[in-house]
Amino acid sequence: MIHEHKIESPKEKQNRHKAMEAISMLEKLKHDFKEPPKAMDYFYNLYEDVHCKQKPLHADKVKVGTMCIQVPAEITHALDAVQIRLCNGFYTDDEIGSDLLPSKSCPLVKATVGQFASNNFSDKPDIIISPTTCDQKAKSGAIIEDMGFDIYDMEFPRTKESEESREYWRRSVRKFTKELSNNLGKKLTRKKLKESIKKIGYAQTLYHRLNSLRKNAHSPLLGVDMFLVTNAFFFDKIDAWIPAVEALASECEQRVKDGTDAARKISPRIVYTGSPPIFPNLKIPYLIEQSDAIIVADETCSSNRMFNDMVSVDEWFLYDMVDSVADRYLKGCTCPIFTKNDDRKRRIIDLVREYKADGVVYQAFAGCQVYEMEQRSVLEAMEKEGIPIIYLESDYSPSHLGQLTTRIEAFVESLKNRKRKAK
Amino acid sequence: MIKKIKHFINYADLRKFRFWLQLFFFVFFIYGGYLAIDLGREIPVFSCGYNHETAGTCYFMPLQHQLARPWETLFSAASIGVLTSFLVFLLWFIVFNKAWCGYACPMGTLQDWITSFRKFLGIPYSTYNDTQYKSLKKIKYIFLIIVIIFPLLIGLGLLDGEWRGAFCDMCPARVITPMFVGDFSQWSIDFSTKTAIFLSSFGLIFTALFFVGSFIKKRFFCFFCPMSAMHYIFSDTALLKLKKDGDKCTKCGDCYNVCDMQIKDIADDVQSTNILRDDCILCLKCVAACPEDDALHVDLVNYPIFKSTKGGFAKRMEMDTWEKKNDS
Repeated sequence: MIHEHKIESPKEKQNRHKAMEAISMLEKLKHDFKEPPKAMDYFYNLYEDVHCKQKPLHADKVKVGTMCIQVPAEITHALDAVQIRLCNGFYTDDEIGSDLLPSKSCPLVKATVGQFASNNFSDKPDIIISPTTCDQKAKSGAIIEDMGFDIYDMEFPRTKESEESREYWRRSVRKFTKELSNNLGKKLTRKKLKESIKKIGYAQTLYHRLNSLRKNAHSPLLGVDMFLVTNAFFFDKIDAWIPAVEALASECEQRVKDGTDAARKISPRIVYTGSPPIFPNLKIPYLIEQSDAIIVADETCSSNRMFNDMVSVDEWFLYDMVDSVADRYLKGCTCPIFTKNDDRKRRIIDLVREYKADGVVYQAFAGCQVYEMEQRSVLEAMEKEGIPIIYLESDYSPSHLGQLTTRIEAFVESLKNRKRKAK
Repeated sequence: MIKKIKHFINYADLRKFRFWLQLFFFVFFIYGGYLAIDLGREIPVFSCGYNHETAGTCYFMPLQHQLARPWETLFSAASIGVLTSFLVFLLWFIVFNKAWCGYACPMGTLQDWITSFRKFLGIPYSTYNDTQYKSLKKIKYIFLIIVIIFPLLIGLGLLDGEWRGAFCDMCPARVITPMFVGDFSQWSIDFSTKTAIFLSSFGLIFTALFFVGSFIKKRFFCFFCPMSAMHYIFSDTALLKLKKDGDKCTKCGDCYNVCDMQIKDIADDVQSTNILRDDCILCLKCVAACPEDDALHVDLVNYPIFKSTKGGFAKRMEMDTWEKKNDS
C-alpha cells in the first residue's frame, strides 16, 4: 500500500492551530463549570463550526468587514449586506501579525492584521470598513490596504462632547451610507432602513432582557457564556442569533424562577472592564470564574458597548434615521480613545450598583495604550466610591497564566472576606 | 393594581396621548366661548383675546394694560387687582409647569400640526447650529422686556401710550387664532400712526415667519416666545417637574435627538436633577425616547408619574418584537 505523503500547507497549519485554540477554550467552558443552559449549545456549536471547521455562514451575501464597533450595522443590513466584525482573539494570528507590527502593539490589532496577512477567512469580507478610532487600528487599515484589500477609512472624532464632533460624525456616517450604497449598487430605502433599525433594536432589547437577569442574586448565566453570546454577534447570521438568544433568555428566566445559580452563593460578583475579551481569548473571564467569582456585568466593546445604547428616531425618514443611527455609535460610546473618560467611570459605577457587584476587574492588553492610560483614573474613581478593583495586564500568549491566576485568586479571596464580614 | 397602572403609563404611546390632548385643548381654547366657557384672563398660554370665542385669555394681554397704569395708581391699593391676577396666573402655571406649552398652547399645537404636514410631505426639518442657538434663544427675553418694561415706561410717562399693547400687536397669535372662528380682520396693517404701522406690520411679518418657520423647524416660534421665558422664571415653584438621574444616563443623546427645542442639556448634563430648561415645552418626548430605566422622569410633587423605561422605549420604537421575514 502506498501512502500519499501530504505536507500540511501553511493555511492548513494555521487552521489546525486555530481549531486547537478554539476547541480547548470551548471544552473548558462546556465542562469546567456547573451545567450551562441547554440553549448555550447553539453557541458552542456555532464556534466549533466557524473556528474549527471553517464553515462559511454567509456564502451568498456581500460581506462588509469592520475593524471596530462604530460601523452602523443598521445601514449595512438595510443594504442587504452582512456585517462581520474582524476584531480577532486568536493567538495564532497574533503571532503572524507580530512580524508586521511593532513589538509593543496591541494583540487584538496584531491578530487582526495577522489574519489579513494570511488571507485566511471562512467568510472573506468583500470590503473592509476601518473607523479611525484608536491609533493602532487606524494605522493598521493602511497596512491591510497595502496587502491588497479594499479598505474604506471611516472618519471618527476623538472627542464626543462638542456639537462639532457630533456633526462631523453624522457627516461621516452619511458619506459612508452613500458610498457603501454606491459600492454595493443598492439603494437605501426608507422601508429597509426602518426594518433594519427595528431588527437591530430588537437584538439589543434581547441582550438587555438576558443581561438584566444577571442582576438577580442568583445569576443564571456565567460571564464567559455571556461573552460567547455577544461575541457571536460579530459574525453570526442575525436571523439565527435572535432566536438562539430568545431561547437562552427564556431558559435563563426559568432558571431564575427555579433559583438555579451559575456560580455559588458566596461567589463574589464582578464587573469586568477594559480591553475586549474576544473568543477564544476568554482567558481572564475564564480565570475569574474558575476562581469562584462570577462576572455579572461588563463594560467592554465586545459585549455591553455593542448593545447598550439604542437608536431613537423622531421622524422615520431616511434623513432622520441615518442621523439617529450615527448618534448611537458616538454619543453613548465609552471607548477610552476619547479625550475624557467621565462617562466610562460613571458607567462602571452604575453597573456596580445596578448589578450589586462586589468588585471590578480592569484588564488591559499589553500594548493597548488607551486602556493602559485610563487605568489610573478609573482606579482612583473606584477607590473614591469604595469599590474594590484590580488591574491586570495580559496578552494572547498562553504563558504567564500562573501569575494571573494567583493575582485573580487573591482578589477573589479578598472579596469573599469582605462579603463574609459584611454579613 | 398600582403597578399595573404605572406599567400602563410608562409603556404608553405618548404620541397618541399628546395628539388627543392637544386637539382637546386647541378646540377648548379656540372655541370654548361658544359654550360660554370663560376661565378668565390669566391663562399662561397664547390663547389670544383677539379671538372673541376664546375660553380664557392669554395673561400678557391684561398684564400689559395693567402695568401701563400711571405709577402712583400702579403702586397703590387701587391696583390690588394687578396682584391678584398675577397670583391667578401663577396658580394656573404652577400646576402644569411648562406642560402648558407642550400640551395646551393653541399656537404650539398649531406648529405641531404644521410639522405633521411637513412630515406628510417627507421634507426634512432643519436645526440651528450651536452659535445660532445660543444667540437666538435670547430673543424671547427681549420680548419679555417689551411685555413688562414697556408698559411700565408708559406709566412713567417716558413712552407713548400707543406702545401699550406693543407685544400683542407684534404677536402672531393675534393674527392667527381669530382665523379659526372666521375672523380675518387682524390680517391688516394699521395705518393710523407711525407706531401702529410699525407694530402691525411686524405682526404680519412675524405671522408669515410663524408659518414658514414652523414648517422648516419644529416649534420654531416657541424659541422666541416671551411666555416661555416668563414660565421659566417661575418654573422652580411648579408642582410638575422634569427630573433626571445623571447616574443612570449614558449620554446617548436619544432625548436630545427627538427634542423639538434642541436642548442639549437634557442629554449632556448629568449633574442637575431638575433638568427643565428655559426653552423646554415639557412635551415629554425626551422621557418617551429615553432607553434607560428611570434616567428621566416627570414628577408631580416629587412623585414620579411618568418614567423612562427600557421596555417602554422598546415598545414605542417597535423594537420589542420582531418577525422573521422570508426574504431576509
